Amino acid sequence: MAINRYTKMAYASADDMIFGNATAPVKAGLGLEIGGGYTVPEVNYAPRPEAGATKEKLVEEYERITRDIMARMVQIGAPAVVLETEHVQQMTNNPTWGGEVAAAQKAIMEDYHDEYGIKCALRHTPGDIREDRDYLQLRGDKYDVLMESFEEVASNGADLLSIETMGGKEVSDYAILRNDIAGMLFAIGYLGTTDMDMIWQDITKIAKKNNVISAGDTDCSEANTAMFIAGGLLDKNLAHTLAIIARAISAARSLAAYEAGAVGPGKDCGYENTIVKSIAGVPIAQEGKTSTCAHSDVMGNLVMQCCDLWSNESVEYHGEFGGTTVQCWSESLAYDCALMNVALETGNAKVLRDMMVLSDKYRDPQGYILAYDNAYKVGEAIVKDANDIYLRAKNAAVECVNLLTNADPKLQMTRFEKNALKDAKEALDGLTDDTDQFVSDCLETYKAEVKVFRPENYDL
Amino acid sequence: MTSLEIEPNTILVRYNVEKEKSMSPAEAAEELYPKDELIRPIAEAIFEGEEDDVVDGLQKAIDAGKDPIALIDDALMVGMGVVSKLYDEGVIFLPNVMMSADAMLEGIEFCKSKSSTAPVAKGKVVCHVAEGDVHDIGKSIVVALLRANGFDVVDLGRDVPVDEVVEAVKAEKPMMLTGTALMTTTMFAFKAVNDRLLEAGIKIPFQCGGGAVNQDFVSQYELGVYGEEAADAPKMAQAILEGKDLDALKKQFHTH
Repeated sequence: MAINRYTKMAYASADDMIFGNATAPVKAGLGLEIGGGYTVPEVNYAPRPEAGATKEKLVEEYERITRDIMARMVQIGAPAVVLETEHVQQMTNNPTWGGEVAAAQKAIMEDYHDEYGIKCALRHTPGDIREDRDYLQLRGDKYDVLMESFEEVASNGADLLSIETMGGKEVSDYAILRNDIAGMLFAIGYLGTTDMDMIWQDITKIAKKNNVISAGDTDCSEANTAMFIAGGLLDKNLAHTLAIIARAISAARSLAAYEAGAVGPGKDCGYENTIVKSIAGVPIAQEGKTSTCAHSDVMGNLVMQCCDLWSNESVEYHGEFGGTTVQCWSESLAYDCALMNVALETGNAKVLRDMMVLSDKYRDPQGYILAYDNAYKVGEAIVKDANDIYLRAKNAAVECVNLLTNADPKLQMTRFEKNALKDAKEALDGLTDDTDQFVSDCLETYKAEVKVFRPENYDL
Repeated sequence: MTSLEIEPNTILVRYNVEKEKSMSPAEAAEELYPKDELIRPIAEAIFEGEEDDVVDGLQKAIDAGKDPIALIDDALMVGMGVVSKLYDEGVIFLPNVMMSADAMLEGIEFCKSKSSTAPVAKGKVVCHVAEGDVHDIGKSIVVALLRANGFDVVDLGRDVPVDEVVEAVKAEKPMMLTGTALMTTTMFAFKAVNDRLLEAGIKIPFQCGGGAVNQDFVSQYELGVYGEEAADAPKMAQAILEGKDLDALKKQFHTH
């Protein structure tokens, strides 16, 4: 597989972007076309901790989860659903476990599809196990086990293959906690993309061999870490202006999956996905108000704006008044999708999209930048230097800073957020445009500052 | 975009803008710096997170006759005290604390290298990430905040086997143990640590937090005290110093 960088936008204008529609829709699973004119709920779940004790218990737990979701979807008349199984580590470390879970889930989904015609697909997301106790170990034995895991799930029923890769995280964790813009760029933009280039070519090979979909990634390990540390309006852990700069950079990184052969749908927790969609035209999963079971954000409606799959991130399987958690959350997702699909059917999609955007665009700098009109501008900055993974990431950061610096006065920012923005601008202004020089400088700095950073993970 | 537009103030409130302190961090710190002309530059350098300036200031103070070990408490911790106070008050943010803590640690090492006696910390805390879990950014924050508040930290790292945690507690005899975990499947190791400590007759507060960890889970084992925020770690250690027992800690920190 070769790397094919995106040098132009998928859409002629930001306004062309809408939920339920991608310029490159994806046919997957049992009758689904994702991004083909309608939105679909994607349900995520985690087994109860005690279910991880043995393979048999785990398989039974996922069977219960799958049956519960499919039954509820049929009970409320949902036409389609995607299930995502994010592996607990035992399932990836023991590849046959993941394969058996996928087979068990798919058998149940096929029964429902055969009996009721419900369109459905199964996404499996092996854990990124490429690390030992002290260091990331992105290449080597653990890489082989990870690829074996993909092979097992792909050959046993998974329709969509995803992962949340961790390349660059060791430097990113250090940089985020120190307001270090160069470190964020190096970690997310350069190291993260380098790792994605490698792993997504191999995942795509496995997907093609098994006739399934190489779906996509998310910068959960870095940009979401920044977003979670930034927290709510009153949290004092990271300026939200810095969290959104990390997010803008992450779009240049998550794009790399599609440049290496993935076709979407991108992973739900990739809040950068609207930017990615503007460039690649791939369908995307998103999560927001329906993922409050897993975490809080400050853009719960806005992120629905261009989604193709609408997700709940993850919920532990247990009972609630209204059924099991997966039943309650899948039902919420399905009704959100029904509303979006009505808007599409009645010609009101852009109105609904813009209402969702306006709900949160001025709530926080993060929503302001991820609103599709601004997200599109960040996308344009990325494709401007498409073939240079450092410069395109830097462009994304610069565009993000410029958009916030010249923001609509309706977006109010604290003095602290503005100062952090000003510092970030100065840091960006001081960075070289010479990629080799940047990488060389960063290698020297982070080999000294970050004890767990191993350049050989990135073939450096 | 459609022609829809709104006046945001009718649908949301930027409470952080409304409640922001009027004083800038630099102004607030200015009021808290010590007056001693040898100590003040060190405290300022800690606040600014400038490691080289910390060492320069310490060298000058030592050259002027100050005791290197005494400078840890009298200068470094004073500077860090300014940082901690302003963080607690919401005037500065976590990255400032992290950078100041880095500078303070550099300063402590410098002081130790200049003396044959060992410094005395407020108390010792053992920190770890649960067995099977490699997500350690939360633990890194906890460690930094504890050190910033004058506690000696034994950092066991991430993915720490239960046996190793128990052995470290036996060897180090800390006033408190902390455990962080991101995943529901790994946090069960906390129960095993709790049981093994009790078997060994050790009853120290075991602060647990992070990712999927919640108060309901931590309440299930005797030594567990839930830490909702990383900033709860130094507060809990301080409460222990003030004589609070397990029940009192749970009463204070189990707020849900």
